[in-house]
Amino acid sequence: MAMPMPIDMYAIPELHFSDYTAATSSDEDCNYWNHWSPVVNWDSLTCGPGHEGFHDLMETMMEDAAGVMSPQTDPSVEEEGCSNSATTTEVTTADDEVDDSLEDFNKGLRLVHLLMAAAEALTGANNSRDLVMVILVRLKELVSPTHGTNMERLAAYFTDALRVIVEGAHSTKHLNWIANSGGNDNRHQIDMLTAFQLLQDMSPHVKFAHFTANQAILESVAHDRRVHIVDYDIMEGTQWASLMQALASRKDGPHIRITAISRTGSARRSIATVQETGRRLTAFAASIGQPFSFHQCRLDSDETFRPSALKLARGEAVVFNCMLHLPHQSYRAGESVESFLRGAAELKARVVTLVEEDAGPTGKEVGFVGRFMDRLHHYSAVYDSMEAGFPMQGRARALVERVFLGPRIAASLARIYRMGESESGSWGEWLVEEGFRGVDISFANHCQAKLLLGLFNDGYGLEEMGCKNKLVLSWKSRRLLSASVWTPFVNS
Amino acid sequence: MFPPKKASSMNSQERGVCVQPDSGLVLTTDPKPRLRWTVELHERFVDAVAQLGGPDKATPKTIMRVMGVNGLTLYHLKSHLQKFRLGKQPHKDFNDHSIKNASALELQRNSASSSAMIGRNMNEMQMEVQRRLHEQLEVQKHLQLRIEAQGKYMQSILEKAYQTLAGENLKNNINGSHHLHQANMTPPQDFTSSFPLNPNFASFQDQLNVYGGGDDQLDHHLHHHQFMPNSSNNTENLCVGMNNNSNKNKRPLFWNNEDLRLHHHDDHLGTASSSLCLDTDPFKDVSLDRITSSSENNYINIDPISDMYDTKPLLHHQEDILGDASATDNKKLFERPSPKRAHSLQPADQRMSPMISTGTPF
Repeated sequence: MAMPMPIDMYAIPELHFSDYTAATSSDEDCNYWNHWSPVVNWDSLTCGPGHEGFHDLMETMMEDAAGVMSPQTDPSVEEEGCSNSATTTEVTTADDEVDDSLEDFNKGLRLVHLLMAAAEALTGANNSRDLVMVILVRLKELVSPTHGTNMERLAAYFTDALRVIVEGAHSTKHLNWIANSGGNDNRHQIDMLTAFQLLQDMSPHVKFAHFTANQAILESVAHDRRVHIVDYDIMEGTQWASLMQALASRKDGPHIRITAISRTGSARRSIATVQETGRRLTAFAASIGQPFSFHQCRLDSDETFRPSALKLARGEAVVFNCMLHLPHQSYRAGESVESFLRGAAELKARVVTLVEEDAGPTGKEVGFVGRFMDRLHHYSAVYDSMEAGFPMQGRARALVERVFLGPRIAASLARIYRMGESESGSWGEWLVEEGFRGVDISFANHCQAKLLLGLFNDGYGLEEMGCKNKLVLSWKSRRLLSASVWTPFVNS
Repeated sequence: MFPPKKASSMNSQERGVCVQPDSGLVLTTDPKPRLRWTVELHERFVDAVAQLGGPDKATPKTIMRVMGVNGLTLYHLKSHLQKFRLGKQPHKDFNDHSIKNASALELQRNSASSSAMIGRNMNEMQMEVQRRLHEQLEVQKHLQLRIEAQGKYMQSILEKAYQTLAGENLKNNINGSHHLHQANMTPPQDFTSSFPLNPNFASFQDQLNVYGGGDDQLDHHLHHHQFMPNSSNNTENLCVGMNNNSNKNKRPLFWNNEDLRLHHHDDHLGTASSSLCLDTDPFKDVSLDRITSSSENNYINIDPISDMYDTKPLLHHQEDILGDASATDNKKLFERPSPKRAHSLQPADQRMSPMISTGTPF
């Protein structure tokens, strides 16, 4: 498999693996390798069945890595060398004799360790860009974004994400698997819409977020004549379709005004432009007889929200809706979200609905590797949950992964890498610090969420947390998404 | 008056209680100890409140002083006073009732005063349970409607997107879509053309490519069906399959809970779950026809979307069905006159949520 790998073969120092040595060049690097000790204590980790100990696995890994650096010294056959070694150094371990599931498990385990090693190599005490690339090369041979088990596909995206980090921002041209429209916008948009539809069917993430927020909003504006919703990231506007339906069925329902926050640029590759969404929502509202008006509010060039940019009317109940980490959304800069939430306090919003993903461990001691592994764990849970929704339809899942999850993973890892130790905790915690008060999740809301999850796989779980103002969607004990309701403290 | 048997069974469900030795207060033994307002305690409370001039005049602090009960906190009194104020009238009646119970049960002192509390709690709990059940049913109903609304909205978006794409394809495609042009140019479809394409055909092709190689069954189907000379039914199926299946298989996904079944079992179209069929596509109605006429489980589809909703065993079945369907499909195609379109559209819409008037709203 031909890959434009920027590894200079001559720069690879001498390596000693069991009985195998590669051609060497410089001497300084040689020392480095010889003194290199595995930063991860393999022995402390549990082994998979079929392996006598980690020792086998490690040796296998080393052999794999070594296999990449084949004895050819001619740089012109660099690419061929890689592909040759791929076929010739296919390590035959005891795996070949055991059944498929075991093999998958072992392979999955191997991938996890390779990824972990890559993360370590990227930021650990003995970080080395070359080592990372070596590991990534090997990983790339083992995985594919469209084939194989969940772990394999996930590892493919993680590998690519790491590669993007290592190569720096200018490597966008190497985005192999990460969604690239390639064709025209319309085709891409259809892809995204189809993927979104599939996503909604496969998993309850989106519905859980939307419905929980909507129910909280409905309850808080129960007696208002005018409601003004400010939506941080309206995407395709699905959330408001069901809210409008709920309000339209009321005898004298309120007039709804939605202001969608829009950003300059990046509209081309989004699932829908804000204007389109506005048109659709207006048409939908008309079809169900809901008094409705739609507005846009542009963010500044640095994506800061200015409350003054908002047009308010007298006597309206202001609702701030902040959906952050749904699978089909992009990452938003922290400062931007902060400015939005602060705006809610400033404008004395009636209620703020927030949906975010599980933040994972934070703190100084966690480090990049810890967060990396946490993300791996998180997304493997997401992948598993998708599979549970559509066990047979690998292609559908591959589409969703390519269009949505892959870019999310890349963005997530890039963010973690950039932010380093200043990674903040969840937005919920931030709101508490800013003086927001939680609004209890009602029995009806909780009930609705439970019923919704009942329509999907059993593996989904629901928890009520944080002083009763938060509902958390989890997959088999791994928390995925949390929906919480707040109000600025001034409103009492 | 509750039969003793029930009382004891209630007892087993109750949280553990223990009587405080010094103050005589009854507290629960669960992690967050809560005070049990026994009849006696409540009587003292009422007396104290009366002494202080009524529930509106009395304050928790003064009540506490007057009652002079150890271990009673302001917190307890605050909440109890609030309840007392709110439900003053019924509370009194209840009080009388529970007094009767208590006096009868006082004979069985060893059960402690918690038996009176049992009676009271039974009532409260029953009311609570009923209230919750009712609420739950309401929530269920609303959830259905909301999911529908969302589905309809998604459907409209997808339809618009496909329309735009079809428009683009019309402009762009030159090769191999000679028939495509023909099909599009003549709105009352020329069925005699061997390739009365769904204008979306090109997009489906792309989609198939987009999803990449992989699923063996799908590839097999594709090779088998894609370039068949009599491919009208193929493209039909592409559309139909989507329409049919996306609705059909969505139903098990959404409505597996008996209580949530809103529509009849024979409702092939399901509800507003999104289908990927074109709005303006004349074939849409044909598909509706076919759906209603063909038996339930004959999905005649080979397209990728429906593949996603199918389960493995059925895929084999489809191959057989396809052969049969093609004959009937063509017949349907040829004998469909325009007026029938409106007719077929009607029942579908009526089966949809009443909130959208007949005919596609957007």
